[in-house]
Amino acid sequence: MTIDWWTLGLQAVNITVLIWLMARFFWRPLAAIIEARQTAAATILTEAEARRAEAAAEAAKIAEARAGIAAERDAILTAARRQAEDEGRRLREAAAKEIAASTAAARDQIEKEAIAARGTWATQAGQLALGIAGRLTGRLAPGPLFQSFLTGLADAATALPPDIRAGTAEAGIEIVSASPLDDAAKEACRVKLSDALGAAPGFSFRVEPALIAGLEAHGPHFIISNNWRADLARIEAELNHDRPT
Amino acid sequence: MTSPLESIALFHIGPVPVTAAVLVTWAIMALLALGGFLLTRRLALRPSRMQALLETVVETVDSQISETMRVPPAPYRPFIGTLFLFILTANWASLVPGVEPPTAKLETDAALALLVFLAVIVFGVRAGGLRGYLSSFATPNPIMIPLNLIENVTRTFSLLVRLFGNVMSGVFVIGIVLSLAGLLVPIPLMALDLLTGAVQAYIFAVLAMVFIAEAVGEAGHHPSQQRKDP
Repeated sequence: MTIDWWTLGLQAVNITVLIWLMARFFWRPLAAIIEARQTAAATILTEAEARRAEAAAEAAKIAEARAGIAAERDAILTAARRQAEDEGRRLREAAAKEIAASTAAARDQIEKEAIAARGTWATQAGQLALGIAGRLTGRLAPGPLFQSFLTGLADAATALPPDIRAGTAEAGIEIVSASPLDDAAKEACRVKLSDALGAAPGFSFRVEPALIAGLEAHGPHFIISNNWRADLARIEAELNHDRPT
Repeated sequence: MTSPLESIALFHIGPVPVTAAVLVTWAIMALLALGGFLLTRRLALRPSRMQALLETVVETVDSQISETMRVPPAPYRPFIGTLFLFILTANWASLVPGVEPPTAKLETDAALALLVFLAVIVFGVRAGGLRGYLSSFATPNPIMIPLNLIENVTRTFSLLVRLFGNVMSGVFVIGIVLSLAGLLVPIPLMALDLLTGAVQAYIFAVLAMVFIAEAVGEAGHHPSQQRKDP
């Protein structure tokens, strides 16, 4: 067994050269491209991370803007609702006032119309009563009717205060009748009223058809009415007194 | 049949004899260097299938270096990777009819072992300085210096013998069987020889990594502390 030292040295040189060649043309380029790819991938990942962060920030901004819009919308809706409620309340109050005013006006109108209607009816009723009374006096017997009115007149004269009754002695009394009185009737008036007054005044007589039926005594300070015109006037006054003004 | 222990010079360049192993080595060098150059001319960030395959080779070598040596692989990649590719290609050169693997010759294996021996020294000195590297022989104590020196030589010798014995025996056995049994009989043995060649290339590269890592580790420990002290 021998070793060829020349060959050993030559092979050592050969392999050393091969190591250099492979390092230069094989290992280094491949390692460089692997490193470049890793760098590129790292860069891309970094950029992607940055983009993702930007996107997240944008999304957060959008969400914030949306929240702001929603809050503004709620505020606008609330304000509009409040305004609508105020407007509705104002309109309801105005309508209620208008309705109250219209109701009051209608009530006044109805009241006035009722008053007017009652006045009209009272006038018509008075006229009707006068007509009825006129017809009735035409049918009744004049004697008893006259006595009845005279008795009422004497009773009213009796009820007068004494000083007024005494005052009639000098001033006299005017007897007003609806129809002319005959002498007997005049005498009956003198007797009856002198007794009632407790004095003997002078008597004068006058005819006034407006009395319809009955008598009226005019003294210096009083008038005693006992006739149908006075009765009807009193009834009408009471009717009018019942009407609300 | 000539003895596998003898190298016959085909011709001479001056005083230097050129044997068949040297010629095959040159062919392998041309193949690897030219192939590497052509294949890495158009590298791109989006790799082709071939580029992806080559990158896989690089990443596999890197991962082996990282797992075995526990250091960044870049400084050791060209040496370890080229050793592996050369030995593998040389071992598989027996597939070519009439070609004898250069690793079946003692001088080639001795050259490889010598390069590993020198690489251990170079990387050890680079890691811890000359003083650090030399002091690594006194680990764990100065009494071990002679043993460590002998170990450095013997383990290099073991590299030489292991590779030479395996490859040479494979070639020798195939030659004997071929001379005795005919054309097709050695084929299973050749297949086995392919497997043996790949395993031997891997073992040689791994052992080279272990030796270098040991030198780098030991030189990098004590000496670095010494260097820090002014």
